[in-house]
Amino acid sequence: MKIFKSITLRNSGATCQKCVHFQNNPAIIEAIYPGLKTMSSGFASVREQDGLCGFHQIYLAAGDSCPNFTPIVTHLHQKA
Amino acid sequence: MTTTTTETASTKTSGWQELWSKEDWWAVWLGLGIVGLAYVFYLSGSSISWIAVSPGKWSTLSQLGTQLSKNGIKYFALLAAFLVLFTTVASFIGQKPKAFIPAFIFVFVLSAIIYIIGSWDQANHYNLEPPLVALLVGLFISNVVGLPGWLDAGFRVEFFIKLGIVLLGATLPFTLIIWAGPVAILQASIVSLVTFLVIFFVARKLGLDHRFAAVLGAGGAVCGVSASIAVAGAVRAKKEHPPIAISLVVIWAIIFIFALPLISRALQLPAGVGGAWIGTSEFADAAGLAAAQSYGGLANSHIIAGTADQAVAAYTLIKVIGRDIWIGIWSFVLALIAVTVWERSETHSKVEVGQIWGRFPKFVIGFLIASILTTLIVHGNTLADYNKLVKPSLILPITALRTWAFTFSFLSIGLTTRFRQLASAGIKPIIAFTTGVAVNIALGYFLSVVVFGHYWSSIVTH
Repeated sequence: MKIFKSITLRNSGATCQKCVHFQNNPAIIEAIYPGLKTMSSGFASVREQDGLCGFHQIYLAAGDSCPNFTPIVTHLHQKA
Repeated sequence: MTTTTTETASTKTSGWQELWSKEDWWAVWLGLGIVGLAYVFYLSGSSISWIAVSPGKWSTLSQLGTQLSKNGIKYFALLAAFLVLFTTVASFIGQKPKAFIPAFIFVFVLSAIIYIIGSWDQANHYNLEPPLVALLVGLFISNVVGLPGWLDAGFRVEFFIKLGIVLLGATLPFTLIIWAGPVAILQASIVSLVTFLVIFFVARKLGLDHRFAAVLGAGGAVCGVSASIAVAGAVRAKKEHPPIAISLVVIWAIIFIFALPLISRALQLPAGVGGAWIGTSEFADAAGLAAAQSYGGLANSHIIAGTADQAVAAYTLIKVIGRDIWIGIWSFVLALIAVTVWERSETHSKVEVGQIWGRFPKFVIGFLIASILTTLIVHGNTLADYNKLVKPSLILPITALRTWAFTFSFLSIGLTTRFRQLASAGIKPIIAFTTGVAVNIALGYFLSVVVFGHYWSSIVTH
């Protein structure tokens, strides 16, 4: 059945959480959505790790994914 | 040689990290810590009542002056204790203590003034219910006077209300939750489902997108702003949709904070029945508690039948047990419908069943544990012992701290509500949401008063 194929415990791999377009910092989400902290919170459990996708301009779960995934680049600075 | 790593501002928290990065868990740690400390003092024949100070009833300014000069040091000690605890929380969740400390001192001083005004023996006569005064003062300051944005760091509405609810659990017998919980779930589920479907189908009829309709419906039916933002993430709403739902919820919630107690009073609803109706029809936890506590306060002055605790208990059972705890299920089901029915274009991942637990409002766990703990502690005491020993040494100090937490929250609602900043909604979302509100209020009244009225008017809270 299609419905069971659409379910998983947790998505892994190239998910939004690891994408450069994804922004889920609670303080930034609160600043982007005025009123969120008036009767809820960016730091609440109900929000899980959801965030904004700067590429598609949608608000979605951190475990989501799409063909436009771009991994976060980690810069290593070496000092002598 | 040293190596440093830089990444984007995106936050990665999972598993155990949630325990110290989410306000819900901090409400559990602090709430249960306070209850545990109160119990330790109680067992040693003492009490935390010294620091859990609250203004007593006063009728003249000289009485108030005497009271304040006697207890002044206690208020400073309480402020210091709150500052230490809350600044720790603010630091752990990633806020700057430098901004939080002055902001919280501002909240505490204003709350103390409001608490003192509410203790005036003529306060009810002039409708100076502390929750309503706190809200009005906050709204006036934020919308007329204006405050610098950095002060927002101390106005943590949700954290304060969740801490207050955990402490509230310590003053409610667990037997009441077992006895009234199923009725609360039944009543709340009927209203939530009907309200959601009304908003959703009216929104669809007006041509709004499926996901937007779901975000609006959840906001009106489940738990206000929290439900809207949770469902928005679950169904992948467009960036501009959550703020519209948030605006509608905030505006209606503020109207209901004043309207529901007024209408309930005009209809002379008993405290428990009014609390149940508010629990069924208000949107956000903090807004509903402001209304329920305000309405319960009328019972203290014998303006309505019942007790103040009945209003708050009935409200909490319906709102927290009947509505809040199901948000994970709502999100999961709607996410599944979004994937399998509404067509998905931008993303292609599977629906995570783990979100049922992930989105669960964890403070409810603290609320239940606190209730079980006090029920076990109280068990075995006669009513006379309870009234003579347990209540003054254990229950009343926790109640005083709970009232402080609620007052911080009610004031913070006002201080963070800036009407100019709220997103404009457009006529179609307004019509869809308001239709749901109308159905919700009528059905909520019918169930709370006609169907279960006898039940809510007779709940035992001690």
